[in-house]
Amino acid sequence: MNYIVFIFESTHQVLKVEKILKENNIKYDIIPTPKEFSSDCGMSIRIADSSEDKNKIRLLLLNNQIAFQEYKKNA
Amino acid sequence: MKTIDAKGKLCPMPLIMTKKALAEISENETLKIILDNETAVKNVTHFLEEHGMNIHLEKKEGIFEILVQKKGNIPETTIVENYCKVENQQISNYVIAFQNNKLGQGVEELGTILIKAFVNTLPEVTQKPKTMVFLNSGIYLTLHDSPVLESLKKLEILGIEILVCGTCLDYYQKKSALGVGRISNMYDILEKFSQAEKIIYP
Repeated sequence: MNYIVFIFESTHQVLKVEKILKENNIKYDIIPTPKEFSSDCGMSIRIADSSEDKNKIRLLLLNNQIAFQEYKKNA
Repeated sequence: MKTIDAKGKLCPMPLIMTKKALAEISENETLKIILDNETAVKNVTHFLEEHGMNIHLEKKEGIFEILVQKKGNIPETTIVENYCKVENQQISNYVIAFQNNKLGQGVEELGTILIKAFVNTLPEVTQKPKTMVFLNSGIYLTLHDSPVLESLKKLEILGIEILVCGTCLDYYQKKSALGVGRISNMYDILEKFSQAEKIIYP
């Protein structure tokens, strides 16, 4: 299955994003940031690549001025 | 929707049927595959995922249904027999006991995010637990609205036993909200603990 992983600058940012996604009824998974993307032992947000919420999430992050990086992952 | 029934069929039959059916449907169309054993589910799932298909798995009374949306073509030359695995060798003899719906002690919001990451990583761990036990507020992880429900369902389909404390479900009045696993009691749970090679308390 293909996923999109969103990576943030800190755990506090992840918690903030969680709150925003919950308020918007968006389904997501919290996962440890995959080692291949970053070595900072942080947390990331994962959604299925097929999810229609992809753009919704990107837009919400931009509107809330949250810096993020996104990667594709096959798991 | 095209449906194939591969109940009672042994590998590589379910794979052959799946490959053939996928060749017959068009892009983005959905195929339903009905199976009745975990090994077949694992083999078919692995086969589909390796070919970039989106799948959705459901288990109802020992019958598994895989819904797959066709994305691209599976090459005619693919040897389906390569996807036949006899047993899941990766399950070992340890137990994870969730006594809380958070991980460790400290600030609540951190514990909540850590437990989600913990459970969501388990399906990717090489040595999977034999049994997972949910006690006290740990039962909240197994309810319909659990943030880790999908990962737990995936683990259950992989053959990992999920036991949920009945007394705890009853106490929190959540019996009807159980989303995954089997309701169990202290006799069963202690049996599992005493037979385990080790127990992990997240």
